Amino acid sequence: MKISEREIMVLGDEAVSWGAIDSGMKSVYAYPGTPSTEIFEGIEHIVSSLDDGRIAKWTANEKVAYEMALGTSYTGHRALVCMKHVGLNVAMDAFMNSALTGIRGGFVVAVADDPSMHSSQNEQDSRYLADFAHLPCLEPSTPQEAYDYTCQAFEISEILGVPVMVRLVTRLSHSRGVITRKENMNLPECLGIPPEDTKNDWVLIPSIAKRRYRQLREKLPKMLTVSAQYNKTSISGHRLGVVTCGMGRAYFNQLCREYPALKEYNRLDVCSYPLSLTDIRKFIKSCEEIYVFEENYPYLEDKIRDMGQGKRVYGRRDKSLPMDGELNPIILKKCMELPLAESKKESEVVVPARPPRLCDGCGHRDAFNSMKDALKNIGVDEPRIFGDIGCYTLGVMPPFDMINTCVEMGASVGMTLGAAEAGLEPSIGVIGDSTFFHSGLPTLISMAKSKTANANLVIVDNKITGMTGQQPTVAIDIFEDIARSFGFSEEQIHVLKPLPQKHEENVKYLENVFSQKRPDIIIFRRECVQALRKKLYQKYYQK
Amino acid sequence: MNDFNKPFGVIVAGVGGQGAITVAQLILGACWRSGFYALQSEIHGMSQRGGAVSANIVFDQVPVTSPVVTSGEANLLISMEPLEALRYLPLMAMDAKIISATVPVVNIDNYPELSSIFDNLKKITGVTIVDTDDCAKKLNYKHAGNMCLLGASSKFLPISDEVWKRVIEERFKSKGDQIIEQNWSAFEFGKKLLEK
Ligand code: SF4
Repeated sequence: MKISEREIMVLGDEAVSWGAIDSGMKSVYAYPGTPSTEIFEGIEHIVSSLDDGRIAKWTANEKVAYEMALGTSYTGHRALVCMKHVGLNVAMDAFMNSALTGIRGGFVVAVADDPSMHSSQNEQDSRYLADFAHLPCLEPSTPQEAYDYTCQAFEISEILGVPVMVRLVTRLSHSRGVITRKENMNLPECLGIPPEDTKNDWVLIPSIAKRRYRQLREKLPKMLTVSAQYNKTSISGHRLGVVTCGMGRAYFNQLCREYPALKEYNRLDVCSYPLSLTDIRKFIKSCEEIYVFEENYPYLEDKIRDMGQGKRVYGRRDKSLPMDGELNPIILKKCMELPLAESKKESEVVVPARPPRLCDGCGHRDAFNSMKDALKNIGVDEPRIFGDIGCYTLGVMPPFDMINTCVEMGASVGMTLGAAEAGLEPSIGVIGDSTFFHSGLPTLISMAKSKTANANLVIVDNKITGMTGQQPTVAIDIFEDIARSFGFSEEQIHVLKPLPQKHEENVKYLENVFSQKRPDIIIFRRECVQALRKKLYQKYYQK
Repeated sequence: MNDFNKPFGVIVAGVGGQGAITVAQLILGACWRSGFYALQSEIHGMSQRGGAVSANIVFDQVPVTSPVVTSGEANLLISMEPLEALRYLPLMAMDAKIISATVPVVNIDNYPELSSIFDNLKKITGVTIVDTDDCAKKLNYKHAGNMCLLGASSKFLPISDEVWKRVIEERFKSKGDQIIEQNWSAFEFGKKLLEK
């Protein structure tokens, strides 16, 4: 794809990438996470052919990414940070406080939510967090809007002096369509560091933080004015009304093609937050009954129901829509009692689910197999193993049945230690190299100090972030050094190669390690077969 | 012939790693190059590890906003795997066409008897089964299957050979002329299967 092309076919995520590039973004930082990964990858790809000093870097986790982007903004450059919804939890401290510090160069936070949990542990709705931080949020519904809103988010950020969130959901992140880029691409410009009179605005000690917080709240009217430009109310006089945003809007618009009568409904299209309560009130007044189609928590619906003047509101709360999961056109049709098209008969043969599985030849398979046999040999027939987030979480499935928890990034380390201190023997956790750097590292310090706990941390180290498509890990081959420097002795550090022909040897070895009443680190080290196939190790680490 | 004056829904199905998304992207690109508005929804992430994978494409004469095909409104299914062809039946319109490959991917313990899958497929109107194994052998190109399926399905899509050729060339140009040629031959081979 040539940079000069204006009409391009891209993913919703990549539309955000192009928006950032065309807005003169200087730096992007991120940690991979489905469905947001392709935002960064899109930029990285474009930047590699631009040679104009732009920066695209993966970081250890989302908090680090957020802080680095904030540093970029401080210098007067435009910055983007992208993450999945649960990544924002990790970056939450920085996110909340950046609302008070404000920004210098335009600062955009692209967050991709995952309703229906296609690749996530929960389906939290990031709009609440934008609201919680008193920050504006734009919500596109098509790849074109994803592009346009990203461009505008940089502008809005500089006008209001705060970070702006662009919220996507999986279905948009991974929708591919044509976008038209704006005619004039902004080159990275620098506004310079904060001048003398505002240079201490970022020092959030109580005396300054109080003032900054008040100033943030005082921006609300201006935020509402800016936001109002995106939100469209149209009152037709129909008795029915519909409130739509994001994919809810996309699906409703599509249904209007099939059922032109829907075009007659009163509409409130929400593309931006905060939302003016006066507008909602006016809208409610104009309708007798209201449908609310939004992804994915009943955020608008609750406001509308509260202010609803007793009117019937169809949404998730009254079960007109399912309480959880993403919307789709069928759900909207059922809710509005539109006829469903007749379809072919379901298969007579029972079609079994085909869940994801570890690749053939993946080293995680061998790691699980040898751990399982070792535990059996020392009399632990029903092990309980603390898992983490990555391909190896699939160890929960048969034939392994070797993962019993998956809570959030890094949880395996703390849970293993906590359970060991409470007396679980042996207590075992499994974590990947990338997840360990993301959030496991601090807990390892506590583990080193806990001299007598039978805590066994298994690091399945393939030197790559496997699950999200094999991105580079921030560091490789340093676990032994880290463990040593934290106070682990040589006899507590073990490096094994997970291969079928090493099975017996590894089983024997692990039997001994699991029986020791002390913390141990077991590193199972072997390359990811997908990354090998794509020759990524040469590409990343032999530059 | 199909009615292309309303939204037309295509599903491309397969198992993670089979290339369903690539085939879908070719169709999407071809629709765009043919002057249609089109949007596609893809599966990325966890399911790509050997799970069931599908892409939806909706194209129309007017702008499309939903990339998701509704139940009973998919007009064409291209499945790289026979069991996966059965999975999407409830989404298929009564008069929908289904093109399925023959080669199974047996990566689950409870994979049904293959003959029962084909018996079921043959009972459904509008189904064409493409012997992808045979295509690969005849063309002496082990990756021929997907392009044969695409060629076969092209019979039901309002896209000219010229456009197909262009998108296939664009897709494979980084791999050299020989690969382009092999894929184009596979496409034509698949197309001829339905002309007989
Ligand atoms: S992608 Fe790599 S780490 Fe993940 S299952 Fe496959 S081989 Fe294993």
